[in-house]
Amino acid sequence: MMESTRVITEMILQEAQKSAEDIIQEAQKSAEHTLEKQRQLGVQRANELAQSLLKKAQREAEVDKLRSMANTKIRTNWVILSKKEKLIANVLEEAKNKLRTLTESKEYIPILEKLITEAGIILGGKELEVLLNERDSTLSLKLDKLAREISEKTEFETKLRLSKEKPKVIGGAMVRTTNGKVIMDNTFDDILGRREKDLRSKIAKILF
Amino acid sequence: MLEVFKAIKEKHLEAKKIIDGATAEAEKIKQKAAQQGLSVYEETYKAILSQVDQKAIDVKSKIAEEAERELEKLLSNAEERAKEIEKKAEKNIEKAVNAVLNMVLQ
Repeated sequence: MMESTRVITEMILQEAQKSAEDIIQEAQKSAEHTLEKQRQLGVQRANELAQSLLKKAQREAEVDKLRSMANTKIRTNWVILSKKEKLIANVLEEAKNKLRTLTESKEYIPILEKLITEAGIILGGKELEVLLNERDSTLSLKLDKLAREISEKTEFETKLRLSKEKPKVIGGAMVRTTNGKVIMDNTFDDILGRREKDLRSKIAKILF
Repeated sequence: MLEVFKAIKEKHLEAKKIIDGATAEAEKIKQKAAQQGLSVYEETYKAILSQVDQKAIDVKSKIAEEAERELEKLLSNAEERAKEIEKKAEKNIEKAVNAVLNMVLQ
């Protein structure tokens, strides 16, 4: 009787121990599962954010790159335009030098006379004043002959007289009515200025 | 007989204590895991984002290096083009000057 009781009570305790071990084991598994689940959740959430962070970083870098490229393109275009502009300016300056040299040559007088005549015709003849620079004022120009040519073209009797005013120009002439109301500027300086746009375009076509 | 029942009842009580203790211990384990879970989540999240930050820096550096190379190429091409323009222009300066003189004197 005592022996069978001892067996029963031992069985009760053994089963309890076994159950307790199972409970603890189950809890440990559950704990491990919880930790793994949280780790995976951390990975998942971080990865979700990671994609957008990487895309954002890439986008920002691409925008920076495009901005730099655009700025550099503007800068390089500006450098090339400046270079072209400098070359065009050199040509214009060289042309002015040649015109200065021309004014000291014997070929200049007929050119100057032609410029005076053209201006006189444009003004319609009559009483006109010719303005020349200091140097050109000393040249022996046939103003009477030029006046006759203007008269013939305009059919108005024309008189040309040299003005005391001496504009500071490279060469060429200004012609104006004696009342000073209308002036035709045929100086090289004004022709260059007047035709600058066409000249630049022409120079660019030849140079580049 | 009574003694037998008494002995079994005692062992039942003892068994119940063992199981109650195990249940309490199990609860503690689970609670601790729940608390640790938050730390594990946070540490994992931070570790990955830290790697991502580094990747983002690498991506930016790579694109910046690409940009640098392309910019150098652009500048080099522009310098080359400027030289070609100057070279071609130098050959035609006289012609251009004469064209200007013709236009002024025509």
